[in-house]
Amino acid sequence: MKVISKGDFTSFVNGMIQDGSSKVVGVKEKGNAFAFGDLGTADELRLDYDVTLLPPKKYFFPQRETLLRFDRTNDSAQSVVDVEPMVIIGVHPYDIAALQQMDAVFAESNADPYYMKKREAAVIIGMNAVNTSEWNFAASMGAESVSDGYDIMLTDLGGSYAVEVGSSKGENLLLTHGAALREANGEEQAACSSYSAPVGKSLDFDAAAIPALLRAHYGNEAFWEEHSEKCLKCGSCVLVCPTCYCFDVKDEADLDLKGGERYRTWDGCLIEDFASVASGENFRGTKAARYRHRYNKKGDYLNERFGFTACVGCGRCSSQCLPDIADPVKVFNDLWAVADTKPQAIESTPAEISPGEEYSFVPRNATVVNKTAMGTTEMVLELKLDDGSELGHQPGQFVEVSAFGIGEAPISVSSSPTHRGTFELCVRKIGNVTTKLHALEVGDKVGIRGPFGVGFDTEFFKGKNLLFIAGGLGLAPLRSFFNFVLDNRADYADVKILYGCKVPGEMLFGNEVADWDARDDIDHRMTVDSCTEEDTWEGNVGVITTLIPGVDIDAEDTYCIVVGPPIMYRFVIKSLKEKGVPDDKIIVSLERRMKCGVGKCGHCQMNGIYVCQEGPVFNYADIKDVPEALE
Amino acid sequence: MSKPRVAIFDFAGCEGDELQIVNLEESLLGLLGHVEVVTFREAMKERTDDYDIAIVEGSCTRPEDEEKLKHIRECASIVIAIGSCAAIGGINSLKNHLDPAWYRAEVYGDKADWFDTYKARPISAVIPIEAAVPGCPIDRDEFLHVVKTLLLGRTPDIPNYPICVECKKNENVCAFDRGEVCVGPVTRAGCNSCCVNEGTKCWGCRGLIDDPEKNAHMEVLEAHGLTPDEVIKNFQTYFGWEGDQ
Ligand SMILES: Cc1cc2nc3c(=O)[nH]c(=O)nc-3n(C[C@H](O)[C@H](O)[C@H](O)COP(=O)(O)OP(=O)(O)OC[C@H]3O[C@@H](n4cnc5c(N)ncnc54)[C@H](O)[C@@H]3O)c2cc1C
Ligand code: SF4
Ligand code: SF4
Ligand code: SF4
Ligand code: SF4
Ligand code: SF4
Ligand code: FES
Repeated sequence: MKVISKGDFTSFVNGMIQDGSSKVVGVKEKGNAFAFGDLGTADELRLDYDVTLLPPKKYFFPQRETLLRFDRTNDSAQSVVDVEPMVIIGVHPYDIAALQQMDAVFAESNADPYYMKKREAAVIIGMNAVNTSEWNFAASMGAESVSDGYDIMLTDLGGSYAVEVGSSKGENLLLTHGAALREANGEEQAACSSYSAPVGKSLDFDAAAIPALLRAHYGNEAFWEEHSEKCLKCGSCVLVCPTCYCFDVKDEADLDLKGGERYRTWDGCLIEDFASVASGENFRGTKAARYRHRYNKKGDYLNERFGFTACVGCGRCSSQCLPDIADPVKVFNDLWAVADTKPQAIESTPAEISPGEEYSFVPRNATVVNKTAMGTTEMVLELKLDDGSELGHQPGQFVEVSAFGIGEAPISVSSSPTHRGTFELCVRKIGNVTTKLHALEVGDKVGIRGPFGVGFDTEFFKGKNLLFIAGGLGLAPLRSFFNFVLDNRADYADVKILYGCKVPGEMLFGNEVADWDARDDIDHRMTVDSCTEEDTWEGNVGVITTLIPGVDIDAEDTYCIVVGPPIMYRFVIKSLKEKGVPDDKIIVSLERRMKCGVGKCGHCQMNGIYVCQEGPVFNYADIKDVPEALE
Repeated sequence: MSKPRVAIFDFAGCEGDELQIVNLEESLLGLLGHVEVVTFREAMKERTDDYDIAIVEGSCTRPEDEEKLKHIRECASIVIAIGSCAAIGGINSLKNHLDPAWYRAEVYGDKADWFDTYKARPISAVIPIEAAVPGCPIDRDEFLHVVKTLLLGRTPDIPNYPICVECKKNENVCAFDRGEVCVGPVTRAGCNSCCVNEGTKCWGCRGLIDDPEKNAHMEVLEAHGLTPDEVIKNFQTYFGWEGDQ
């Protein structure tokens, strides 16, 4: 073990600052609190701090971060990954543990270059805490000390610091700046090994029981309602958290309206509109649901995915919540107290995460080759990728469509992959991006990211009987699979389709529906919720479920593929079950608010599931017990 | 495409917001490349009815204001209300909670009887508008955001979350942790929590978010030593009109 005197440490830090090859940041005073900030001189360092206002996460995942710059005059965009070499001094072990968790989150399945490149360019000088806040419970979460995740770790020995080198990066830094290290003497070694982290408060039970405890009490509505009653929806608890990573994506044009940037900014699940969509639906519409989501996400969902509880016990949320309801210690201890049977502690081991393929927010350009108005508010856009490639989608997948300066929106691909050369989107005009898409003319360009998500498994369904059930705009995603089946008709057994919309005028793809009539290898039925005297309507009148009892299917042996507005599912599934269709033969496609499409922004989650990654197409058997799925 | 023509009007207000626009200096010059200002009391002399975008400052405090506003609505394809008075009723709606006889005498002196006066209200209570930029004075960046987005044919992002969101991102020490009280938890964000960034607190000039948690916030204020009367005063400074709705 090495030691450096405090005076020599100051010289070492000043040396780095003067050298200027890396930005040097550390913990400084801010008002009556502390914050990480740029160091002008080592004297500003306050390594005796208790906790910083925000965690050092802000250097790798900043509050506002440019993702790309666009040029509207030629529809081009360039990724902006703003990396600066940096030394961060004084990071407490719980914040190091949090960064290790963030590393896993940003690397998993789709690697986030914006975070990872910044992280690679930083050297972390950790500091075993001298003081702590009254809210800190890192010891209960096993994050009061760390054995890795730092490049250098300091322990305060009074007149000097014990120095542990954690990486070659750390070693090089000490060498390059001539840190005056010497070997520790026996007394110093003893002082260092007898160090124990200060504790603010503690859980009443083993933190390894948290996931099971949360599961057992997910449905304890009274508990969540009571605890969240005073919630201000202010988001403070998630915004200050070192392990929260949700974000929103927005466009801001320059003053000349030609250039501009697409940026991301911190968002959080406690903010009221976090899960609401353009149609007005809010998928987590109550304070209790949002509040419960935070604890479950940290304590259960991420545990299942990554093998760690995404709370390191820093106590920031607790100290910043004005009504004092965000303290995990209080909530978990309260839950423990009300639990009739105390769940077992089950130790989990963090999953090995090997970084996925790097993604980019820069879209590919596509040109509008055709546009057809449909229904009352829908437009079908036929698009061709400018690089001449096929979109390469699976039926049921979606793309993120962007108009620079306006934003991005997830839209299902409506055409079948058997249709080559171009692809189609059927867009309902409802908000900013969709209004812009409606205004496009042939020859105009849009940006496309994706295809994303899991669609319909065309191979699996081969040889099976299929019953398609579409409500309203649900026909758009369904059509990609239905047309695929029609184009490969011999591969599939009995095929039927039920299609319902509100009024005859809202019917989509009327020309294709007319073709269905002409085919004798499919059976189709149509319904409208209502129609007037003037409508020439010969089909059924009534909601879509009124068609189900009369349809002649082998209930045990037919896959029912259901896509429609959120409220349709419950009723349709009920009718199908009454007919004897088993759960695992019902396939649905679900909608959620989406921002990134790559499993990072957190918006599309229903309980632990990322709809943009594991969906939007699901087997009903897999999600029927996921409470947020079809609530 | 010819440049959109912009007209700026003031109703009851302090005109601080118009000054704010004139003060946009370089940013304004950049923007002026895209718009043509045709009527602007602070900065220009000419007046015309031929404009596309109307920017209205001040709240509607008299019945005859309503006629003027309706006329503006007919002329303009986009109407933007700027400043707290225009956007939320602002300071002017304080009088809604006072005895009319008293404030009429106070404001108009012995000529009080000559004037009709009624409850001060935001522009949107009289005519439909495309966007409201609350704030006293308005935030320049937000104003530019609103004009840019409307020119691009989209609706602006006026947040529906409280000031605390911006305040946390700005890593401020919370006013409550400095022994002060703050109405940030119920106030609509969009000013980048500028007052707290400067070391003070939010007094709510941007008005309430939709569906604010007033009771929970009152409890917080009371827990920090405010009496119920003081709590109500805290709310009324800016929330006069909205609080009544
Ligand atoms: C997997 C999936 C497939 C979809 N397929 C289609 C389709 O084929 N045709 C179609 O017309 N619509 C589809 N939608 C809905 C469509 O994404 C929204 O209507 C659209 O995002 C609204 O964007 P906007 O900018 O016009 O509205 P605004 O209200 O201005 O929305 C602002 C932003 O919020 C987010 N958002 C709002 N509503 C939704 C939503 N419902 N889902 C996800 N994010 C949302 C988007 O990022 C959007 O850009 C689909 C949604 C999902 C999740
Ligand atoms: S900090 Fe407290 S009041 Fe604010 S959102 Fe979180 S739980 Fe609700
Ligand atoms: S949940 Fe609270 S205590 Fe846990 S890491 Fe986040 S801010 Fe810290
Ligand atoms: S969903 Fe999870 S990561 Fe996102 S804000 Fe909520 S608690 Fe934090
Ligand atoms: S200072 Fe005001 S706005 Fe900022 S966090 Fe505290 S209460 Fe919210
Ligand atoms: S911080 Fe509060 S008082 Fe200050 S400008 Fe913003 S809304 Fe107005
Ligand atoms: S996580 Fe961002 S859309 Fe799914």
